[in-house]
Amino acid sequence: MKVTGVKVTPFAASSAARGSAAKSGCIVEVTTDAGVSGIGVADSTRTTWIESLVQQLLVGADPRSVTGLWERMLSQSQPCHEIAALDVALWDLKAKSNAEPIWKTLGGLRPRANACASLPDATLSVAQLSDWFEHMARDHGVRAGKLRVGVDLRADLHRLEQVRTALLQSTAEPTLAIEASGSWSAQEATRRIREIEETFDIAWVEGATSSTDYAGLKHVSSAISGAVSVGKGLGALEQFLPYFQHRSADVIELDINALGITAALQLAEAAFGYELPVTLTAAPGNLHVHLAGVMPSFMSAEILEPAPASQVCTSEVRIENGWAVAGDAPGHGLTVNHAAPTAAPLRSRNRK
Amino acid sequence: MKITGYRVEQYLMKMDRLVGDANLPSGVEMLPGSILFLETDENVTGIALGYGGGVESLFGVIEGADPREVIALWIRMNDYLHKGGNEGAASAALSAIDIALWDIKAKLEDQPLWRTLGASEGRVKAYASGLDYCLSDEELFAFYRRMAERGIDSGKLKVGLDLAADLRRLGIMRDALSIASPRPGLMIDANEYWSPKQAVRYIRQMEKHFDLTWVEEPARRWDYDGLRLVSQQVRAAVASGENLHNLAQVYPLIANRAVDVINVWTGQSGVTGLRQIAHMAHAHGLEVTMMNAQADYMAQIAAALPNHNMMEVVDPGREHCLKWHSHIEDGYIVLSEAPGFGIEVDTARLRELQANPPTGRGKFPFPRREGAGRYVVPPKPGEVPWR
Repeated sequence: MKVTGVKVTPFAASSAARGSAAKSGCIVEVTTDAGVSGIGVADSTRTTWIESLVQQLLVGADPRSVTGLWERMLSQSQPCHEIAALDVALWDLKAKSNAEPIWKTLGGLRPRANACASLPDATLSVAQLSDWFEHMARDHGVRAGKLRVGVDLRADLHRLEQVRTALLQSTAEPTLAIEASGSWSAQEATRRIREIEETFDIAWVEGATSSTDYAGLKHVSSAISGAVSVGKGLGALEQFLPYFQHRSADVIELDINALGITAALQLAEAAFGYELPVTLTAAPGNLHVHLAGVMPSFMSAEILEPAPASQVCTSEVRIENGWAVAGDAPGHGLTVNHAAPTAAPLRSRNRK
Repeated sequence: MKITGYRVEQYLMKMDRLVGDANLPSGVEMLPGSILFLETDENVTGIALGYGGGVESLFGVIEGADPREVIALWIRMNDYLHKGGNEGAASAALSAIDIALWDIKAKLEDQPLWRTLGASEGRVKAYASGLDYCLSDEELFAFYRRMAERGIDSGKLKVGLDLAADLRRLGIMRDALSIASPRPGLMIDANEYWSPKQAVRYIRQMEKHFDLTWVEEPARRWDYDGLRLVSQQVRAAVASGENLHNLAQVYPLIANRAVDVINVWTGQSGVTGLRQIAHMAHAHGLEVTMMNAQADYMAQIAAALPNHNMMEVVDPGREHCLKWHSHIEDGYIVLSEAPGFGIEVDTARLRELQANPPTGRGKFPFPRREGAGRYVVPPKPGEVPWR
């Protein structure tokens, strides 16, 4: 099996679409001489860059040598979302050539990943927010919720109460997490999070302070009850080293949109060595869920959108009873709807 | 005086009741047993109670040696294992041989082991441990009340899966123990079910209602950073060490001040190995606590440790083919003047167990529970009698 080329289809999301990978981007289809193609979704519209990467480094190569190809790409470029998407597409091809889902090619059992409903859009009204988490609890059994905070502490407390109340539909003890923007100083983060912790049990905090302030993150961790979580958006292995070596994070977020699958797997092993739980940042079609079964310290998968179908692609991942469950289709199971207009958002805002 | 031979007897016990923790709250009642008999040319036999085999791989190292030179023989065995390491099955075999050698040494002196080890009295403060996640609230109360009636004023509860239930059950344990003390010592044991930060959150919630003496295994056994983090963020002392098997493995916990109390037992490279750990801890101002044992035999060693606080006492019934001479009185394990560990084996009963192995629910060892270190999976309805 050999790579023959790539087809890149840009799309633009509407402003209301949720999720980092949903704002705008492109669908990357790596084609082969065997007639199958591997699919990735890049948080990028640099189509010519992707095409030149494939032409120079991948055409003619066996896509099943995915780790070697990942190294080849990184020998020519800094880690970037385009390489991450190509890595996902190569893993998709490798699994398809085995006629099995990625979770099995990776060596896992069918993942049953703890789902954490996440609402990064801080502009929604309290009523909209309540509706969303109630939908997640009632229709998908989700028991964990993450809320973006940081603008107005009193409003944050009120919104957290709404999240907690909504999740009581599925569990007596909801898991609450918060996500700040990373703009607080360490001491300000400590003060604000402690105030939130006077009312709520917070399982983990993302973006407590700048992800490059290792000493500050450690300071926050030593002063609050909840876990300090970092990693979203980081695409290079070496960016994680200081968190491990200085124990400045308690939870490691792995973002396959930035890391690809290969690097995410390696980091999950490193996190296991340090006994740190890992979470998986939401990815298009929830394909990140495939990785949960091979990560020994996997804790939770972020879910921005539970619906399997959007206007441009359809996923096999289902969110049921609070678990994200991957399907049996070969590869990651994402299929592209080529009939859709290319300017359509990747994810719909479907709500039941 | 020479070591001449050995035999290992394996058997299976059915305990009087289930025992369970956060990893298997529904509990198990089957327990494999093994007894090492280490023989000498002077008609003195040393006994070691334990779980393992593998003695054949190390026996050649001590065959023909004088059993009274027990520490030198420990060093010889440890040196023999140098390359592969005193770990795993090798460590279990070394432990068993060392225990039996100390039994021989004390028996040759015609002394109880506690005196051979230098203790001034054969008396060790006890705390009650229900191994109780599988007990109903009523059974829980009955266990700790029974222990309190023997003067025991401290208890250790299995926790980790359900905060509301754990708080209720801590109250039940305290009430049951309150006839022995107006302020019973309360400990909890999560058996490594939490991540460090989960532990901090959970324990801080508990400490709003209860003063805890120590929290045991709140995080993984080797995670000195995480254990230290817990110790710094909760009021209770942090205890760990029962799943480490030699001084080298415990060293990072001591050197990094990661724990406040170290759990010791003979599985840590025998009597000799656990004394090394206790003594190093003592040099660092840390306390040790002895793990529960069949017929409380490890109290013999605890009595001679300068920094020992109290020893775990359980009662699921694991002494089917043993005769022993200690008892519990006014909250203390009181040891006799019987030589060595003071344990005799009822051979007829042992043969009976071997000929007709009992059957029952579950069997040691049991695996780690789903979610451990990441998220809590509470017991399902019917998995435990209290939910």
